[in-house]
Amino acid sequence: MQISINNNTYAAFEGETVLDVAKRNGIYIPTLCYHVKTGQSAKCRACIVSVEGMRGFQTSCNLNVREGMLVQTETKEVIDTQKQIVDLMLASGYHNCLACERSGSCELQDVCYHLGIEKTSFKDAPTGIKDESSEFIVIDYDKCISCGRCVAVCNNNVVNEVLGFGYRGKQTTIMCDNNIPMGDSSCVQCGECVQICPTGALTDKKSRGKGRFAQFEKVDTTCPYCGVGCQLTLHVDRAKNKVVRVTGRDVWPNNGMLCVKGRYGFEFHASPKRLQYPLIKRNGKHERASWDEALDYIVDRTRTITAQYGPDVFSALGSGRITNENNYAIQKFTRGVIKTNNIDHCARTCHAPTVAGLAHAFGSGAATNSIDEILETELIFVIGSNMTEAHPVVSYYVKKAAKNGAKLIVCDPRKVDIAHWSDLFVQLRVGTDVPFLNGLINEIFKNGWHDEAFMKNNTENPDDIKKWVADYPIEKASLLCGVPEEMMRKVAQMLGEAKKVSIIYCLGITEHTTGTDNVKTLANLQMVLGHLGKRGCGVNPLRGQNNVQGACDMGALPNVYHNYQSVTDEKVIVKMEKDWGISGLSRKEGYKLPTMLHKARSGETKILFCVGDNTVQTEPNTAKTIKEIEALEFLVVVDIFPNMTTEYADVILPDVCFNEDEGTYSNLDRRVQFLRKAVEAPGEARPTWWIMQELGKRMGVDLGFQSAKATWEDMRRTGTIMGGITYERIQTNGLQWPCPTVEHPGTPILHLNGKFTRGLGLFSKTNYRPQAELPDAEYPFILSTGRRLWHYHTGTQTRNSIGLENIFPEELLEISPYDAKIMKVKTGDMVKATSRRGTITLKAWVTDRSPAGVTWCAFHFREAHANVLTIDAYDDVTETPEYKACAIKIEKVSEGEPVVSRGFRQARP
Amino acid sequence: MSTPEKCLCGNDDEAGLIERLEEIIITLKEKPGALIPVLQATQSLFGYIPNEAILKISEILNEPLSKIFGVITFYSFFSLKPRGKYLIRVCMGTACYVQGANEVLTALKQQLSIDIGETTEDKIFTLDIGRCFGACGLAPIIMVNDDVHQWIKSSDVAKIIKNYRRQEQPKTTEVL
Repeated sequence: MQISINNNTYAAFEGETVLDVAKRNGIYIPTLCYHVKTGQSAKCRACIVSVEGMRGFQTSCNLNVREGMLVQTETKEVIDTQKQIVDLMLASGYHNCLACERSGSCELQDVCYHLGIEKTSFKDAPTGIKDESSEFIVIDYDKCISCGRCVAVCNNNVVNEVLGFGYRGKQTTIMCDNNIPMGDSSCVQCGECVQICPTGALTDKKSRGKGRFAQFEKVDTTCPYCGVGCQLTLHVDRAKNKVVRVTGRDVWPNNGMLCVKGRYGFEFHASPKRLQYPLIKRNGKHERASWDEALDYIVDRTRTITAQYGPDVFSALGSGRITNENNYAIQKFTRGVIKTNNIDHCARTCHAPTVAGLAHAFGSGAATNSIDEILETELIFVIGSNMTEAHPVVSYYVKKAAKNGAKLIVCDPRKVDIAHWSDLFVQLRVGTDVPFLNGLINEIFKNGWHDEAFMKNNTENPDDIKKWVADYPIEKASLLCGVPEEMMRKVAQMLGEAKKVSIIYCLGITEHTTGTDNVKTLANLQMVLGHLGKRGCGVNPLRGQNNVQGACDMGALPNVYHNYQSVTDEKVIVKMEKDWGISGLSRKEGYKLPTMLHKARSGETKILFCVGDNTVQTEPNTAKTIKEIEALEFLVVVDIFPNMTTEYADVILPDVCFNEDEGTYSNLDRRVQFLRKAVEAPGEARPTWWIMQELGKRMGVDLGFQSAKATWEDMRRTGTIMGGITYERIQTNGLQWPCPTVEHPGTPILHLNGKFTRGLGLFSKTNYRPQAELPDAEYPFILSTGRRLWHYHTGTQTRNSIGLENIFPEELLEISPYDAKIMKVKTGDMVKATSRRGTITLKAWVTDRSPAGVTWCAFHFREAHANVLTIDAYDDVTETPEYKACAIKIEKVSEGEPVVSRGFRQARP
Repeated sequence: MSTPEKCLCGNDDEAGLIERLEEIIITLKEKPGALIPVLQATQSLFGYIPNEAILKISEILNEPLSKIFGVITFYSFFSLKPRGKYLIRVCMGTACYVQGANEVLTALKQQLSIDIGETTEDKIFTLDIGRCFGACGLAPIIMVNDDVHQWIKSSDVAKIIKNYRRQEQPKTTEVL
């Protein structure tokens, strides 16, 4: 259709608003409350226009176009009225731009500029009320125009439900929770409100006074924290070589949203504690060395040791926190120069069962669908994921979908915060996922809720699964997992009756001795329901680290080259030998991470080349890990900070961090995303690919890594599923693999229409096996472990960024109110937690997140980290440790200061 | 002035009331739009809506605190502060205003020595204003709880207050 604006004719489409058409054609209409992310609200009235035949003025942001509409946006009457509206708005507070952070990027300022308003013709009404109580966000009530955008995003986009409007009429104000200061409220400081605020009412505290928006260079890149792979913009102060502010980019996967770590945890890159120079241990002390010295020393030691004992005494660790290029460089060096397949990385400690289990069932070990599809699904089945803390941005989508009518089932032994948004919260016993899920499948068959056609056409052994789950009638399953039969039936019915089910799971499934079986059972369930290969469905693991998917894709695994090409397939080996120009590649699978370490004590591993992996703090049973590390003959650690592992290193090499080199990360929905260089690395820190190139050169092999891009291109030549992804193609948006050719558009959904990568889907038989260490009279509590919202892994990044530690300064042991009452422990008391492997002393947090008998803590703080206690029991297929269950006892040490509880929906007491 | 040992409005046992509130919330929980009935119950139970009640309602109804607080402060029926036994509301609608509601209000303020939204020290009267009670023919009017007083003049105010005060013997014995 066509409409006329200011006597010119423009094309318009059904469902568009007048504002949409005006914007598209470069006609400026002042808007303040309207934002594409918050939608129409027509509150501020600044966007009024006149339309022939309609009485008075119309707000263009919610005025739908009609054929032949005659709109005027610039008549004197319209402009005068807009002026008056904005004039009144200015009188609502005190809009002084002189020292405002947002001067130059303020939408109110733009509107005033456009309308030619210098100051209000009424009287300013300064109240001087500023809320500076929170760690990262300042609310200046004098600059608030009550547009409601912050309230809308807080409640509808990130769904943290903290901000709201209080009072009415002239007194209307934005407020947190029950009108308490933001710092005391349940706000999780995601900063979405700051990003959406049109004025300087909500600003970032830590970038205050550091410079205005226009002053800085903007560098688009990928977040260095969890596996969601949020796209963000770094605001870089070139002169100071520092990032001063972070904003989210309005593209998938995060659509502008970030979490507290991504938005406010950025200063670590400029921390004075960074490793800056190579260090060699001499007489028990790390001393500064030149790169030549350090690299020659490594080559010399490696040559000597491998010449005597063979290449398999060398093991290398890649990392889920370094780029694809760097992981590829390490695996090529290990395989091509040392000639061993002993290469692994930290996916071993988290999602290796996912890779193994899903590859077994479907032929591809990654998430089948994309994050954005969560909003299209009918039922979200979340199991073993504390997503509001570990993957906050995914949780925003899940909460939003739940709010918009999708059903949400949350299954977890702990009452994780996402459960507050669920329709059904199923509290099963720790480690009973297999009987629980098999019981559900049994019930689904019993009621005919399964997808017979899908099973028949798309799976290999549909009859077997019916036989296998017959062993798990709901009565038996219910007894094992502790979920009432009625509730299990309800879950089965909801699953069976929904037309689209998306299964989302995380480490609660994988970090068990039955990890691979747990994943296989989830795959069974989804194949029985037939919700695969369609939009809004699938089996979706939430990968932990920013590039743990990529480290797997790049072949930092003992059994595959990059792109999952088997190291025992002669055809593949010949292909690699030819492409790499190297002969004699190892024909046997390498050691998995725990095996590498175990073999240190028997002398079969002598060298560990460890990149970006704080092994000592992250492996279970720290006392044992330390013994193994100490048994090594030679340990090289490449990292950005000193940590528990560097202390044992013979050589430490300084690495660059996420914003000091270009490269790519692959996120949890297989999206390969670009990383740009924003600042110069400190001291002599060098990228890993450079280190590998230099080491290779010294050992007589030119690995061809002249730059990150050259490394990527080297990978691409022999890559299969990622062969079509080039740097040029992912400059603005990532691409999801498989993407075999440069013309291929990428694959948002795997196994489309039920055509599995392996051909037909494969059901697996899974049986209940209890956890390795059950509680007993001496160690009566189960300890489960995980991640906190405010910290990341061993805390090297988050504890070196300002503010996060103020919010969550030390580790807490979560204890159920029931157990706390018996032990007379209250929040803040010091307790001693002891397992058969070690003891830590930390503060207690009494919370109903933990059920009776279950305790929980994380491994972020080296002073008191969970892995001192965790058990070195492993999944039999993938050797992933059982971090989620071990037995401990608790003793009260001393009384602490009483802590006032903040209510519920909290990521802290 | 010395502090009263017990609250004069009779809400001395708030812990007990919170328990009763909990029962009420649970019975209303499954109803769609339970928040407003729950808040009404809270208001009549306590005479106002205490902070502990807001936290309890949020927890049991699984509603964000900001939403509950927003609803409480939007409707003038709900109060965050303890109200007196008698809530005097002066209609400030157009008809009443024209007929001298403002003078009536001034008289009430003087007589009770309180401002709009405040409660007398003896916790007997709270003064508030409203917008059109829908009885313009009787303007100006005031409402004392559910009693309507019509065609009020500022000179009537003292008598009305006296009448209510007589009904309510202040429990002066309990003040130390």
